Amino acid sequence: MAGLLSRERIIAPPGFNRWLVPPAALAIHLCIGQAYAFSVFKIPLSRAVGITQSVPGDWKFTELQWIFSLAIVWLGLSAAIAGRWLERAGPRKGGVVAAFCWGSGFAIAALGVHLHTLWLLYLGYGFIGGWGLGLGYISPVSTLIKWFPDRRGMATGMAIMGFGGGALIAAPLSDLLMKHFASATDVGVWQTFLTMGAIYFVAMMCGAFGYRLPPPDWRPVGWTPPTQRHALVTTKHVHVDEAIKTPQFYLLWMVLCMNVSAGIGVIEQASPMIQEIFKGAVSASAAAGFVGLLSLFNIGGRIFWASLSDYIRRKPTYMIFFTLASVLYATIPLAGRIGSVPLFVACALIILTMYGGGFATIPAYIADIFGTQFVGAIHGRILTAWSIAGVLGPVLVNYIREYQVGNGVPKADAYNVTMYVMVGLLVVGFFCNLAVRPVAERHYMTDAQLDAERRLISELKR
Amino acid sequence: MGMNHAGPGAPPSGSSWVRVAVAWTLVGLPLLWGVFNTVKKAMALFR
Repeated sequence: MAGLLSRERIIAPPGFNRWLVPPAALAIHLCIGQAYAFSVFKIPLSRAVGITQSVPGDWKFTELQWIFSLAIVWLGLSAAIAGRWLERAGPRKGGVVAAFCWGSGFAIAALGVHLHTLWLLYLGYGFIGGWGLGLGYISPVSTLIKWFPDRRGMATGMAIMGFGGGALIAAPLSDLLMKHFASATDVGVWQTFLTMGAIYFVAMMCGAFGYRLPPPDWRPVGWTPPTQRHALVTTKHVHVDEAIKTPQFYLLWMVLCMNVSAGIGVIEQASPMIQEIFKGAVSASAAAGFVGLLSLFNIGGRIFWASLSDYIRRKPTYMIFFTLASVLYATIPLAGRIGSVPLFVACALIILTMYGGGFATIPAYIADIFGTQFVGAIHGRILTAWSIAGVLGPVLVNYIREYQVGNGVPKADAYNVTMYVMVGLLVVGFFCNLAVRPVAERHYMTDAQLDAERRLISELKR
Repeated sequence: MGMNHAGPGAPPSGSSWVRVAVAWTLVGLPLLWGVFNTVKKAMALFR
């Protein structure tokens, strides 16, 4: 088994088609993207004992919320902790470990539901599943960037688009399975968890075994590295341990954190927000449709902006995100004042494309700044920004709203201040991005260090 | 620029494109199903 998973076993033979790698990455990302649809289980889980309604002894929403939060926190932490190991172990081993974590996480969570033991859900879905999320998320990044040196943004955008798309599959699938397994004495969640865990395990294993690495010094036929170098695209490499000593690492961390914080606040509060701002004009089902549209634009933005960044470069791409999103956030209170639902929806949808685009473009930005040798490991560490933003964004939106409502501001206007706070976050992100410069020469690996690292990888694969 | 060729001097074989089509179909179909369901729900916003 170990041999099957080693890096040397997955070096592509001559004639291998590089377009086989993105679907392998997508297979994994479509599975782990289920995390975004976890909320579909909240109501059934809150009625696991009472079945038709919550009764004493049933889990509360506040307790259930931690399952998802733990998973997202561990996504960031595991990506940071295991990123360097993954660079050396190779994407297939990383993908297989992710499949085991994600699949077994569902199985343990299923046991937790069956025994009505909440800590098993925290352990299974939150902790073990969280490791599956982190490893699965970063497993294809470095490989795709090596296969597509000519289109780094598009390649990683395709994979990361899958993470957004996973929720679109998981939400209706979970619904179908729960309806199938539900009975008069059971809400059908544990059986759904087991089934989904098995499906995801198989699909992720297929993806992991589909990974291939390009031979050393491989490049697409007909493509030569641009002779006119751009200052922000290096051909050298920064070691992951050295990268965290550079200001660029923290600037990119802030760029991701600010972009995600601003977007995630809207996603989290989208449904009540549109209903409260346009009271009486937007029904609950229309609000649910709005949330669905947000997901679609989130996914579309991932492939659109990441691909566009290959042409206009990464720094200008983020400049557009921060500038345009600031204008759109500032426009939302106006949309509320004039009662224009289309204007509000248009602003939110465009913002969401840039939220997704921020996720999808960051791996290519990292590769441009720090080189490709440790891109997966550095990306893993920068993803801790997601963990922080996952808390910061919703907390800002919710608490400011509560404070406003508590001070007598009408609910329809309670989001105005929040929108201006989001603009503030985006302005911070704008200046962080503006400050990104090439890494100082002393941080780059010498040829001897690079050779030693590559030798270490080849020794590990034996 | 060549679209997608692996191994120095070794463009992908013709049959590899069949595998590419199969692989993309396998991941594309579930995704399309998800998109279809989402669009169906989203229509409520325009009613």
